[in-house]
Amino acid sequence: MNRLPLAGVACLHCAALLLFTHALTAAAGTNVAGTVKITGAASNADAVVYIQNAAGTFPAGKSVTMDQSKMQFAPHVLPVVAGTMVKFLNDDPTAHNVFSPDNEKFNLGTWPQGQTKDYAFNKCAKFPCVYTLLCRVHPEMEGYIVVLQNPFFAVTGKDGSYAISGMPPGSYTLAVWHSKGKAQPKPLTVAANKPATADFVLGR
Amino acid sequence: MFSMPLIKAMRAAVIFLVLLGLTASSAYAVPAFARKYQTSCQTCHVVFPKLNAFGEAFRLRGYRMPGETEEMVKEPPVSLGAPAYKKLWPRAIWPGAISRTVPLAVNIKMADVNTSTLNDDGSVTHVNNDLQFPQEANIFGAGTLGDHVSYLTEVTFGENADSSVSVELEHARLQFDSPFGREDLFHFRIGKFAPNLVDGVQEMWISTDAAIDSMFAFNPVGVNGGTGLAEDTSPAPISLPDRIRGIEGYGIIAHRALWVAGLANGIGPGADGQFDGNNAKDVYARFDYKFGGMGLDGDTRGAAIPDKNWRDNSVRVGVFAYRGDGSKINFPFTLSDGTTQNIQDLHFVRTGVYASAFYQDLNVFGAYLHGTDSLQLFADDAPAGPVFEPDYKAWFAQADYVVYPWLQGTFRYETVTPGDRSAPTLKTGVFNVSALVRANVKAMLEYQRDLRQGQNHSLNALVRFAF
Repeated sequence: MNRLPLAGVACLHCAALLLFTHALTAAAGTNVAGTVKITGAASNADAVVYIQNAAGTFPAGKSVTMDQSKMQFAPHVLPVVAGTMVKFLNDDPTAHNVFSPDNEKFNLGTWPQGQTKDYAFNKCAKFPCVYTLLCRVHPEMEGYIVVLQNPFFAVTGKDGSYAISGMPPGSYTLAVWHSKGKAQPKPLTVAANKPATADFVLGR
Repeated sequence: MFSMPLIKAMRAAVIFLVLLGLTASSAYAVPAFARKYQTSCQTCHVVFPKLNAFGEAFRLRGYRMPGETEEMVKEPPVSLGAPAYKKLWPRAIWPGAISRTVPLAVNIKMADVNTSTLNDDGSVTHVNNDLQFPQEANIFGAGTLGDHVSYLTEVTFGENADSSVSVELEHARLQFDSPFGREDLFHFRIGKFAPNLVDGVQEMWISTDAAIDSMFAFNPVGVNGGTGLAEDTSPAPISLPDRIRGIEGYGIIAHRALWVAGLANGIGPGADGQFDGNNAKDVYARFDYKFGGMGLDGDTRGAAIPDKNWRDNSVRVGVFAYRGDGSKINFPFTLSDGTTQNIQDLHFVRTGVYASAFYQDLNVFGAYLHGTDSLQLFADDAPAGPVFEPDYKAWFAQADYVVYPWLQGTFRYETVTPGDRSAPTLKTGVFNVSALVRANVKAMLEYQRDLRQGQNHSLNALVRFAF
């Protein structure tokens, strides 16, 4: 009979503990969770799952940073509540530019390493407002700011999983945005202490 | 009207020597695609370079798999511009992409050549085990340049007996794939390429190595006044061209029909270094329809998908035509009295039909070609006689049978009836066995026989590999 080496047994214990901890964390405070599958895409990451038109008004979030690092926008997709100030940081030793051809269109200019430029996304007329971020200096760079009406959103990981928390009980519409796919929104009922599940499959 | 000079006693030998001297069309496999998709050669090939139905769809779609998605491309390309730049055009460059690794592939061919040739004086020359190691090498570059653009280049190095090397840029084309309209309805290519005229004898289908490809090699004003096969002459021989410098549009209608229309430089070179021998352009067209099997674009809806990738129970039929203008291009022509004048092919037409049927492990295909020419003698650029309009016909039939996934047998018969009906008809038979030693290493044994003159024959053993 084959025996697992001691280290292997220990690792199995660690993995089980991690899974258990993760499950507890995911369940605690989570209102809705699920997965997003992007048909044909190499990765299921960077889909924004969000609540459409939640009742009430929502203040702008704290300012957040969109980094330009290693010739990439990081994160690749950044959802924000309308009015949020985004700090665009150049973390590379080469100059970067930031502009967007979408919505009101803007061009923040070009600046060197270590500096930031700010832009407040407060002109969105119809949510979600998607701003493609481009760099004139490096045409291959691409990122997205997704401006939403409320803070109930999440971005999927590589495995497509997401979890949204902090929502009051009620009826909602759950929608998803991704640069390479679409899916119909889904009705969602959120009950106290009872996480809902919603999965999406995005097509072209 | 003038009569063609006939030197029948010499003709057979000349024809066969020419035949032996013909370099077989380079047939290719492009392992750069195997790297990009991390897939085997057999995804697209039966016994390379012959394409299976999926490979044909891949080729026609501009080196994109049917229904290709991002996750199918295992070697993601390097972006030359974010897709969002499309929204900015014309104020920005339309985004493109290049492959992550240099998309080069190499094919090497080696041959052990054994021939028997009947000479003019009635003697027979035997060549035994001439080890042409290597015979030729082909370097390919092929791939896509982002959405809607693809390319193919091929440089062939042929090693000669005197250690000299002949180099030819056989393909250099840029293609725009489905730039507008429904997908695959319209593709557009420019450059030097094999026109989409006749399947079965061109690079991506040919299974044999020494077939004479009479459709592309017969020259009505060439050897013996149009009774033989084309040689490497200047100007280039008048024939159905196996490669052109030109522009071609093609597309797939409703998954099943293929249309092709093209424009070519025609015979060259010109007198003063131009590529074209005159200012006129040649035109060609083709229409195909495929019944059963996989769609030409890879569509499999409503089709029973066989469990073996070389099977594709189907019938494909097509018609094609090529019209060329050879006016103002002089070919030296020796009259029966020994004097030399020039001859011009004022215009020539090649029309044909093509058919291919797959049933289980058998593929039978062939084509028939009819050629007409308008030949006129010229002395000092002035017409020196009436227009003579000979016609000739050529056809071939080939059967490929897959014995095992790695083993294919081929029999091919082809014939040319020259415009000069007093000259004999050329008849050639080829038997070939091709074995894949590995997916990208092929060994072939091929026997070719002149069916009119049994002392003209060859038996060659060949090895090809691609990486």
